[in-house]
Amino acid sequence: MRNKNGKWSMVNGQLSLTIGWLYPDLMSTYGDRGNIITLQRRCEWRNIKTQIRRLDVGFDEKRLATCDILFMGGAQDTQQKIVSRDFSTEKRILLKKLIEAGIPGLYICGAYQFLGKYYKEADGTIIKGLGILDLYTKNPGENSPRLIGNIAIKILSTTLVGFENHGGRTYIADKELALGKVVKGFGNNGEDRTEGIMYKNSVGTYLHGPVLPKNPKLADFLIAKALEVKYENKIKLEPLDDTLELKARTVIAKRLGAAL
Amino acid sequence: MLNFFSILLGKNVSLVSKILGRNGSTWPGHVALNIDSSIVSKLLKANSKLKIVLIAGTNGKTTTSKMISEVLERQGLKVFRNLEGANLLNGIASSLISHSNVLGKIKYDIAVFETDENSLPLILSQMSIVKGQPRLNRGQLSIVLLNLFRDQLDRYGEVNIIANKWQDSLKRLPKETVLISNGDDPMLSFISAKSGLNTFYFGLQKKKLSNARANSDVDFLYCPNCSTKLEFESRSYSHLGKFKCPKCNFANPLIYSFDTLPNPLLGEYNRYNINAAALLLTEGFGVGLEAIEQSLKNFSPAFGRQEKLKYKNKNVFVLLSKNPASFNQSIEAILSKEKNPDVLLVLNDRIPDGRDVSWIWDIEAEELVQKSKTITISGDRCYDMGLRIKYSQKSDVKSQMSKVKIEPNLKKAVETATLQTSKDDVLYVLATYSAMLETRKILTGKKIL
Repeated sequence: MRNKNGKWSMVNGQLSLTIGWLYPDLMSTYGDRGNIITLQRRCEWRNIKTQIRRLDVGFDEKRLATCDILFMGGAQDTQQKIVSRDFSTEKRILLKKLIEAGIPGLYICGAYQFLGKYYKEADGTIIKGLGILDLYTKNPGENSPRLIGNIAIKILSTTLVGFENHGGRTYIADKELALGKVVKGFGNNGEDRTEGIMYKNSVGTYLHGPVLPKNPKLADFLIAKALEVKYENKIKLEPLDDTLELKARTVIAKRLGAAL
Repeated sequence: MLNFFSILLGKNVSLVSKILGRNGSTWPGHVALNIDSSIVSKLLKANSKLKIVLIAGTNGKTTTSKMISEVLERQGLKVFRNLEGANLLNGIASSLISHSNVLGKIKYDIAVFETDENSLPLILSQMSIVKGQPRLNRGQLSIVLLNLFRDQLDRYGEVNIIANKWQDSLKRLPKETVLISNGDDPMLSFISAKSGLNTFYFGLQKKKLSNARANSDVDFLYCPNCSTKLEFESRSYSHLGKFKCPKCNFANPLIYSFDTLPNPLLGEYNRYNINAAALLLTEGFGVGLEAIEQSLKNFSPAFGRQEKLKYKNKNVFVLLSKNPASFNQSIEAILSKEKNPDVLLVLNDRIPDGRDVSWIWDIEAEELVQKSKTITISGDRCYDMGLRIKYSQKSDVKSQMSKVKIEPNLKKAVETATLQTSKDDVLYVLATYSAMLETRKILTGKKIL
């Protein structure tokens, strides 16, 4: 509920978040909906009310404008073309505005590429992206292998683990904005050791797995930022028992020889 | 010209590999193909009377192949199959070599081969056409396309890519080739109609379908013809059902359904396998329904596919559950039979399982968790499965998780799970491919492959 100053206030002392899921039945190839489930559960377990808002082909911009966290997963080429067609200039401008305003979001694989300037296919065809983030992707062709396997990346004092599977190589203009540094695996392009991007509170990454269940710190970061932006107040999240999450992380980290 | 040396060598390798305990199901073909890459095509040319049935699809290949072979054998025909799992070109070459004499003569009527999704185009090229030129006019080739779901994305790539490859290779086949295809699957209906082959569709009758809601294991919800969202009137599971495109009117073709046949297996999804087998047998081989019914009544599942075993006097039921669609169907089958089952989930991430385990987040675990009496989890990626189970619960996670035991050591997990299962109850094992083989080895005390 908004108070008279236009700010959000809690309803009966309960916080609430709306999670916007962009194109759930087109952009969800690699179990990426696990990220939605993780955000939702980690809110519910803390008594933060959540609503999942599915933004399907033809969605009304107003429904996007009032989301507190955004998520978009990876897709197959055919599906991505349908999404490109649906993403009008108005939708693009609005999404850019939300990202600039610090609305947290998670954009995986195909969605991450889509936020960039363009995707260059092996034959040189350029597919325009949304141009919201300063990055581009190129596909080196069938003679270069897809980048597939378990991956670990380092972000400040923590490590993220996941599984990557992409043909495109992504290059970010400002390497300072990389989400993390590749410890094991390929990352953005297999060359410069960068992985993903972090711009304001938006995260673009190649990490499937899905990424959030095994990296609860990233999930909590998105939730905490969403609450902070919505209620204009820093809110400390109640800690959860992450013993199982840690065990699942450890299996992959050990296999890769990466420290957690 | 058929190189007898490659056959002979293949046969010798087969013998040697058996002695050395190597994988005898693919190695002979592998060696023979190295000497002569068109050995399959040549063997078929030398045996032009041999009829070939190819079975492809994500789920149900082994079960359907077994059903078809058993019915044909009951007709007095001499039939052979490739060994399960040996479904790449080398497995098929091995099977042909081991069923031929040293001169390359195959004294059988029909070969039934289950084929890997990705290898189907290559295998088809060896069956009829090499490099775009008709090499062998094989009016005796039949193909069964069961379904196409997301599976092992790290190995196969995305489903659309496979569908496109299938479409390309079907178009090149001789027009008299018999194609049996799933008319409830939008993508398969589409590519089959375009093939120009002698096509028949199987499916389920509308009244048998109930599920209108789409789960997360769906792949083809948009029209393969014009990319508009399809309207589903009803659904059996995943993206199978009665669909129509509101824009271009693309819809199910006329389907055949054999409702009077018995279902010897658990779960309505097996009706698709039965209907596919029956349609091939009636249209492709002229077998009567009564004969099919007799065979089905005596049908026992292929190993690891709803296989009933005993372990320390406890009943164990093993269901291979290797991708979201098959896992969801296993859950549905179990819950249709048991109110409060005991389950053992085994998740591996080896090459035959797919190295990427993210697919488990596309399964619907909530109901299984709530209803299960006990849940034991094991396998290389048991903690990932543990997380999937934990995150399926909205509230009351602690009490739901109290019946879950996670044990990385499979032997110990099998002990724990069977010990928790009462004498008259059944332990249901849902396992990925390599996990199923391993579990089975523990349960039976022997290795099968």
